[in-house]
Amino acid sequence: MRVELNGITVRFGPVTAVDDVSLGIEPGEIHALVGENGAGKSTLMNLLFGLVRPAAGTVVLDGVERRWSSPQDAIASGLGMVHQHFMLQDTMTVLENIVLCAEPVGRFGFVDFAAARRRLDAIAAEHGIAVDLTREVGRLSVSQRQTVEILKVLYREAELVILDEPTAVLTPQEKDRLFDTLRNFRAAGKSIVIITHKLDEVMEIADRVSVMRAGRLVRSSLLDETSRQEIARGIVGGELPEARTRKAQAAGDVVLSVRDATIARRGRPVGPVSFDLRAGEIVGIAGVSGNGQSELVRGLTGLDPLLSGGISLCGQSVETLDVAARRAHGMSYIPEDRQRMGLALGASVSENANAGRDDRSAFTTGPFLRHGAMMRFARAIIEDYRIRVAGPSAAASTMSGGNKQKLVVGRELTRNTAVVVAENPTWGVDIGAIDFIHGELMRMRDSGHAILLISTELDEVIALSDRILVMYDGAISGEVSGGEANREDVGALMMSRGKAA
Amino acid sequence: MLDLLLDPSFAASIPRFVTPILLAALGGALCERAGVFNIALEGFLLMGAFAAVLGSYFSGSPYVGALAAMLAGMALGLVFAEFNLRRGGDSIVVSIAINLLAAGLTTFLLRAIFDVTGAFSDAGIVGFGPVRLPLIEDIPFVGQILSGQSALFYVALLCVPLMHVFLARHRLGLRIRAAGENAEALRAGGVEPRRVQLVALLACGALCGLGGAQLSIANVNLFVENMSAGRGWIAVVAVLLTRGRPWPLFFIALLFGAVDSLSFRVQGLGLAQQFTDMMPYLATLIVLVALSWWRARRARGETR
Amino acid sequence: MMETGALNLRNVLPWLWTVLWIASIVLALLLFVGAPVGEALSGFWQGAFGGRRHAYLMATLSRSALIVGMAISVMLSFRAGLFNIGGEGQLVAGGLAAGLIAILLPGPPLVVLAAAIAGAMLAGAAWALLAGVLQLYMGVPLLVGSLLLNYPIRYIGSYLVAHPFRDVPSGMVQSYLVPQATWFAYFPGTRLDIGILFTLTATAFALVYSYGTLHGYHTRLNGLSADFARTVGLPVRRLTLQTLAISGAIAGLVGAIAVFGIHHRYIDGMLVQPLYAWTGIIAVLLVGMVPWAVPISGFFFAAVQTGAAGMERAAGVPKEIALVIQAVIILFVASRVSGALSSRAGRGDGDA
Repeated sequence: MRVELNGITVRFGPVTAVDDVSLGIEPGEIHALVGENGAGKSTLMNLLFGLVRPAAGTVVLDGVERRWSSPQDAIASGLGMVHQHFMLQDTMTVLENIVLCAEPVGRFGFVDFAAARRRLDAIAAEHGIAVDLTREVGRLSVSQRQTVEILKVLYREAELVILDEPTAVLTPQEKDRLFDTLRNFRAAGKSIVIITHKLDEVMEIADRVSVMRAGRLVRSSLLDETSRQEIARGIVGGELPEARTRKAQAAGDVVLSVRDATIARRGRPVGPVSFDLRAGEIVGIAGVSGNGQSELVRGLTGLDPLLSGGISLCGQSVETLDVAARRAHGMSYIPEDRQRMGLALGASVSENANAGRDDRSAFTTGPFLRHGAMMRFARAIIEDYRIRVAGPSAAASTMSGGNKQKLVVGRELTRNTAVVVAENPTWGVDIGAIDFIHGELMRMRDSGHAILLISTELDEVIALSDRILVMYDGAISGEVSGGEANREDVGALMMSRGKAA
Repeated sequence: MLDLLLDPSFAASIPRFVTPILLAALGGALCERAGVFNIALEGFLLMGAFAAVLGSYFSGSPYVGALAAMLAGMALGLVFAEFNLRRGGDSIVVSIAINLLAAGLTTFLLRAIFDVTGAFSDAGIVGFGPVRLPLIEDIPFVGQILSGQSALFYVALLCVPLMHVFLARHRLGLRIRAAGENAEALRAGGVEPRRVQLVALLACGALCGLGGAQLSIANVNLFVENMSAGRGWIAVVAVLLTRGRPWPLFFIALLFGAVDSLSFRVQGLGLAQQFTDMMPYLATLIVLVALSWWRARRARGETR
Repeated sequence: MMETGALNLRNVLPWLWTVLWIASIVLALLLFVGAPVGEALSGFWQGAFGGRRHAYLMATLSRSALIVGMAISVMLSFRAGLFNIGGEGQLVAGGLAAGLIAILLPGPPLVVLAAAIAGAMLAGAAWALLAGVLQLYMGVPLLVGSLLLNYPIRYIGSYLVAHPFRDVPSGMVQSYLVPQATWFAYFPGTRLDIGILFTLTATAFALVYSYGTLHGYHTRLNGLSADFARTVGLPVRRLTLQTLAISGAIAGLVGAIAVFGIHHRYIDGMLVQPLYAWTGIIAVLLVGMVPWAVPISGFFFAAVQTGAAGMERAAGVPKEIALVIQAVIILFVASRVSGALSSRAGRGDGDA
């Protein structure tokens, strides 16, 4: 299928998310759409798929102009999309998920599951991908879920397949398998659009690459006609920030020590996990999301109790203490989910900045608040962390993702605690904010604080960590030292209970 | 006590109490599964009870009364959809408003139409008679429970397996479950979840309406202000406890209905009426505590 | 300048539509009962604010004392993210305690009065805490638990004044009168008792608490996001119980105001049938839980109720229309004032 997007503009209220973009997608081609977070890639594809409507511009499929009133129209015309956040029903079976919204129905509108099974058997035979149709999706691994999403698209006989950041949740080896499948589709004449921000993958698989920045199309050309550097410059609109250099520094005393900790989760508990964290080092915890990292973090911070094992923080055992007491003993926490856990979005910047402060007497008189002192404190964080916001009394919800995250980072780092637990601290923020936050974490390390960096972004872990622990299936599958050289070892540990490299 | 439970006339009275709770809870279950947090079942029931009397009084037929009750319930479902789904009002706020609206409209119309306050009873209100099931009524004990109930009881009973199959295998059932589980995914699949939710709300209104009809033109032949008397809330609890699954819902409704019936029964034994009136609510609380305790224990067991 | 003008119009227009919708529904109801619209409207105004020497305005104020009090009680819970809809039970517990203490406790009237009010507040707080304990330690969602607790206390009260403490000669289901010396005085020259002063005190407390105290700040953060509150280490359980206790105490106080200011005894149903607690809830929802606006909203709903009574006197419109009007207002306003409630209420807190 040949797709042309002509002069597409999409607005959300006063914000122009996509600005006059024209793009062509050829049949039998893998088209990479790259750009940093918020560049408008996903919005553009959501538009093509009928999820958002354009303020201007047209969509032309095989020479015919189309207007979608819903994704159903797009699906009926042969478009399929695998969203970044999987669009699956966890409590339903694989089969139910695949037929949902495209159900073969018999009498009285009852679903003919047998017919669906027959078609899926044929598809599995043709493309060589299969999942147990009777399993509940909630019990599948992330890559199996992605397979379900791809089966959904095939079941609907899509000619154009859009994949939004498909490799974000995969191990390197699973990624290879996915790319094989995509090449298979290309051979079958389907058009494939892959949205990504990883240059390596673009270079590996794309036939054509389009770069977006700030809602505009910067360039669109065959891969052969461009270079890695050219694409990178297009993404950031200038030169990339230079790679971070780590100051050599001997690690100090152990400030956080975890011994045989186990934490409850659905199914089998996480753990036992043991490790030490020393002053002046960044220890990264890598792993595909869902391998027990978030449970471990909740156990460390006191949000969930340990089933067994111990945690000692600055020489004191804290496993029975609550969140407040652990914070007081020297732990700060940058949560992954800034919208729900990191901030109270309905409250003001100042109210968010002052939450969880230890020096209560600095902003209260008896039971009463001193608003002036709170405002001053918030203003200091806004300045120190270069947060772009109307002021300390603006609602937290008015800030962009990157600035929200800087506020969380600022509030936690300002506490100056011995240990900082940072969980995916740069998830979904722009490159400028990523660079700034990385710089702040590194500054904390250099000044003798201990950072535990839990991240599913392998690049981030490799760039920052002195040592890397890899989590797989609820346990630490191995430890490697930091640095680019060990990428392959980390990748191998991410998918097996391997012996330490 | 045991004598009492085995007393066939007590057992035969249970379906009268089970039916309204079960019907309302089945309606609530559809909403729950569709992802609509509808805690206005109390108002739906009350409105249905009033409309049933209205329909029956003016037509002389309990079936028209039941139809009117369904329509009234659906009308409230439509109001819910308009303000919650379309205008985006908070579902709890909308629920509270609808409960008040039903309380207000029924008392207001009671005076405006029949010019009475408190209660309206009239020989013109024709209620549902008992339906005798041949053969089944001859079975000792069970026959006396199953036979001789109002038509609405059998409708309610039939709805349980029907809803189970509907949710498991019907296209709309599948979509209702999807709307409740992950509405965004349903939308991405090309089906607008709010449309599915609207259908669930209308069906809920119809079912609650029937439940109300059981209260006013099957159990008795009159309308009393606020005659739902908390049964809608008990149905809400039943829905929350069972997460809207039809079969567990049936057994919870059976339990609550039996307690309701029992509280009626023990009034004859010299216990002050106030204490027997309290029983359904205390029983509901006890079941809530027991079930959450049991779930917590099972969850602990799972991780071991 | 132009731009702000246009913005204002854009903001005002939907409200205009809302008012128009509500007005036309009320009009339709009036026409349905065949009431003369003009007389009905003037009757409404008279009933709410008029009367000889403003007697009806005083009635409105007297009703406001209870409704605003309940609204304040509910507001403190709601802002903390606690969907406590058991205000009715807490109110009844307070009224019952106030009445019984005043009847049973010997002593100088002022001491008795003080003890009764304190007892009422304690009883209200205890009943609210019960719902909190059910949620935190027994896994019963607050929304459901607090509501279900309304019924037992109602029946307990009913039993107590129907049997042990019944004023039998009166022939009604009600307690004996409380000693006359404990009755609230009237403001000079009016039939308005000083109960409203207690409500005003509670309101002042609530405003200072919400805007100016550490505890109020922390409970609000918990209300906006419980996950956030836990993450930054706020003592969520303690805040929950303390907030419920304050909420319940204010509801209990309102029960005492009703006893000493209006009824001078506990009458079965006197606190339930007028739906004070529910009116308080909708008064809070009407203004999206903004503290300073809550008393105004409570007064407004009191006026709707007394106005409806005036409409009945003047034009024969059943006064139950008040409930319908209130519900319709909430329906139309609820969709505009976003109360971020249901995201976390009802489903329990998953703690169990």
